Amino acid sequence: MWEKRPILFLILATAAIMTGTTITMIVPFLSVNTEADRIESVKPYTPLQQEGRDVYIREGCNNCHTQTVRPLVSEVLRYGEYSKSGEFVYDRPFLWGSKRTGPDLARLGGKYPDAWHYKHMASPRTMIPGSNMPDYGWLSKNPLDPDLARRKMKVLDFPYTEKQIADLATKNEMDAIVAYLQKLGNDIPWRKAAQTTIVGDLKNPFIGNKDAIEAGEHLYENSCAPCHGEDRQGEIGPELTDIDMDDADLYEIIHNGISDGGMPAFGSLGSEKVWQLVNYLKEKDDD
Amino acid sequence: MDTPQYNTDIVRSFILWSVIWGLVAIVVGLVVSVQMTNPELNFPPYFTFGRLRPLHTNAGIYGWAVGVIFATFYYIVQRLCKVRIWSDKLATFQLWFFNATIIAAAISLLLGFNTSKEYHELEWPVDIMVVVLWVAFAINIIMTIIKRQEEQMYISLWYMMAAIIGVAILYLVNAAEVPVSLFKSYSIYAGTNDANVQWWFGHNAVAMVLTAPPLAMFYYFLPKTTGVPIYSHKISIISFWSLIFMYLWTGTHHLLWTPVPDWIQTLAMAFSLMLIAPSWGSVINGYLSMKGQWHQMRDNYLVKFLIIGITFYGLQTLQGPMQAIRSFSAFIHYTDWVPAHIHMGTMGWVSMIAFASIYYLVPRIYGKELYSIQLANLHFWLILIGQLIWSISLWIAGVLQAGMWNAMNPDGSLTYTFMETMVEMYPYWWARTIGGVIFLAGVLVFVFNLIKTIRGGESLVSSAVPVEGRA
Amino acid sequence: MDLGSILYLGVTFGLFVIFAWIVIKTYSRKNRDRNEEAKYRMLDDD
Ligand code: HEC
Ligand code: HEC
Ligand code: HEM
Ligand code: HEM
Repeated sequence: MWEKRPILFLILATAAIMTGTTITMIVPFLSVNTEADRIESVKPYTPLQQEGRDVYIREGCNNCHTQTVRPLVSEVLRYGEYSKSGEFVYDRPFLWGSKRTGPDLARLGGKYPDAWHYKHMASPRTMIPGSNMPDYGWLSKNPLDPDLARRKMKVLDFPYTEKQIADLATKNEMDAIVAYLQKLGNDIPWRKAAQTTIVGDLKNPFIGNKDAIEAGEHLYENSCAPCHGEDRQGEIGPELTDIDMDDADLYEIIHNGISDGGMPAFGSLGSEKVWQLVNYLKEKDDD
Repeated sequence: MDTPQYNTDIVRSFILWSVIWGLVAIVVGLVVSVQMTNPELNFPPYFTFGRLRPLHTNAGIYGWAVGVIFATFYYIVQRLCKVRIWSDKLATFQLWFFNATIIAAAISLLLGFNTSKEYHELEWPVDIMVVVLWVAFAINIIMTIIKRQEEQMYISLWYMMAAIIGVAILYLVNAAEVPVSLFKSYSIYAGTNDANVQWWFGHNAVAMVLTAPPLAMFYYFLPKTTGVPIYSHKISIISFWSLIFMYLWTGTHHLLWTPVPDWIQTLAMAFSLMLIAPSWGSVINGYLSMKGQWHQMRDNYLVKFLIIGITFYGLQTLQGPMQAIRSFSAFIHYTDWVPAHIHMGTMGWVSMIAFASIYYLVPRIYGKELYSIQLANLHFWLILIGQLIWSISLWIAGVLQAGMWNAMNPDGSLTYTFMETMVEMYPYWWARTIGGVIFLAGVLVFVFNLIKTIRGGESLVSSAVPVEGRA
Repeated sequence: MDLGSILYLGVTFGLFVIFAWIVIKTYSRKNRDRNEEAKYRMLDDD
């Protein structure tokens, strides 16, 4: 009997452990990350991006940020297209995370202009009051190590050019992490596909409505001021004090963003809030 | 029968070091908790949240839990086998190597040498140290069992052996990585495969470190303190084999709704639900062993720790399967609900059993009466209240947060921005810190009680320790 | 039924049989008392 024979016991226990292991952990290697998963447009990391990824790992950003969008309605609305297996074939290790103290970053690439990231990383709270993300401005004092980067690219078997490696000497860790963040989730053209075409006439429902304007001002302070400035004087985005656009065009810009220009889409706020913003922006014009 | 000369020095030393690492884990836990409410308390580069949180989890699991495992297993294995441990020298080596490994782990994590894989953050040189440590431990325990004087192996020995090979297999597979430099390596698996391997490891680290070993302790120390045998040896045969068989299928419940293939997720969900049975097998076995002995809950402080501990284990193994259901996971995954689950397990189950074991051992191996039973009771209430505040506040927070993340307006847009949901968490994070302070206060009472026992303490008159309810 | 579901049912059934076998063997008359010995003996060590 096994209760009296430790060696037999160890063999049986190993067999018990290996059954589920084989089926749920080993067998999947046959079907996961194979050709069937591959997505043509997904590219390996460049030396600079890979350096940024390694800073991300070193600083443990994954303790607060996840990198997978689940196929759930609210999640796709908040973050964008849900994640596909083929998007992660170059991720060693994976960085999906398990806790969202901060927002998911899987679709971050292209959401903001580089300037936004430099400013945010250096001091999250001056841009987003109430954030508890640590300050990372000190990263810009740390140089990169081109030789180590070359070795990394070889181990990972990613393509690179000597120029890319040499360029690292002029960059710092902050440049690297911003380059990495801008690649996240950006290899598939989801942003364009996600833009909803606005159907029907766009009619401003709140013309002259004081409450709506006040609500718009509040929204502006939370969502727009980090880029367009407290007084709409313009910083990362242009100044918005003197807008001569009709309401519908303004609505469309806020709703869909200007994806090549670094203006994020705010359609997920809902049409009511977007209209409140439109009225706020137009109102100040008339002052 | 003449009693063999047991090695108690090694048990003493491991108790001492595990308590020290436990204190470190708890203090760092408080620091990260405060950093979540007061981000200005991040001191880069070494003391930021991203580097301290892995230090907290590693000190908690590998310093505190594993330290107690080493201490108790060396004690238990000698009694159940009725022989001295196989090699004193190997055990002494293991003690110092254990401390060296934990120190290397702490330093390297603060320096940012980190693989990012949860509960497996240590970079490859430290990984190798962990492997050496575990092999030394495994050889010593298994050899002791092989040369035992007692034919039939008691339940605790099964859980010990399963944990020993379980950890070995899990750790080695998940550690597969290619070094680039002394402090940097890349996982040999990529993307979705890497995720699946990692959570096969992650969940079974819970099984093989935070479930099986505390069960081994529970099955030994409960009968020993109450003086009556465990209710049923047979129930534990069924629940043991089902438990170690089923656990390995469930890792993917950490990856529900991700790109991992659906069929693996479904298997994980099904097996998680089935796991209720073998988990509760142990809970029920424990409760039934108390038949006619429930008065000991009042009379015997040790029984209180053990029974509340197994009760938290029971709650944990009901809550866990619930979280493994797809629809429920869609809601609470990634929220503060999950840390509440974790800490009910680590503070309520693992730590309760660990404290009970240490209270049982210290008077026996030092030959001293416990300094104060009142203080032990105070310790009990402080850690119980602290843990409840910790978990309950974050369960509420998690549900609130999940509700806000999913709230939608009638026109199909989101009701709240991310920041609107995040700032709602602050009061609960503060409450968690308060719970943590109370828990720490309890542990300090415990440490004080131990020091007083060892330093002063009345010597025991007879070698058989008079435990209430047993005489 | 496709191959996948047959495999699935087969594996499930096989596991169940193994489980039943363990239960029956554990609780068979032959083992009734012998299996419970260790729990008494563990009480008298120290
Ligand atoms: C203590 C937890 C925490 C840590 C650690 C942390 N963050 Fe954050 N992060 C947040 C929170 C909370 C937010 C949301 C508020 C804000 O934008 O500051 C955020 C926002 C962000 C955003 C903006 C996302 C968006 O869609 O608006 C980026 C980019 C980001 N973090 C990158 C990082 C990087 C890179 C690191 C590691 C160097 C990091 N974070 C570490 C908590 C954290
Ligand atoms: C991440 C920074 C950022 C945020 C946040 C942001 N914007 Fe912009 N915005 C930009 C940039 C950059 C442009 C310029 C895009 C271009 O023209 O290519 C822009 C352009 C615009 C324009 C067009 C201006 C013009 O004269 O053509 C409007 C209107 C506008 N933003 C409104 C808003 C509103 C309203 C919000 C808040 C809901 C907002 N923006 C939030 C960066 C931002
Ligand atoms: C005073 C006691 C404690 C406090 C204040 C505390 C605090 C914390 C905090 C703030 C986090 C981070 C949660 C997050 O990111 O949202 C955390 C995570 C964690 N703690 Fe503790 N902790 C305590 C005790 C313990 C103990 C004793 C253990 C282990 C034995 C432990 C194990 C863990 C683990 C495993 C995690 C990881 C959670 C995850 O992956 O989501 N903690 N703790
Ligand atoms: C039947 C038993 C159990 C099941 C089915 C179970 C299930 C789960 C699930 C589904 C999660 C993931 C939650 C999420 O991220 O959405 C989880 C997390 C966790 N559980 Fe359990 N649990 C069980 C018992 C335990 C026990 C006894 C402990 C002991 C301490 C424990 C410790 C943890 C830890 C540490 C995590 C966090 C992993 C991470 O870092 O994300 N669990 N559990």
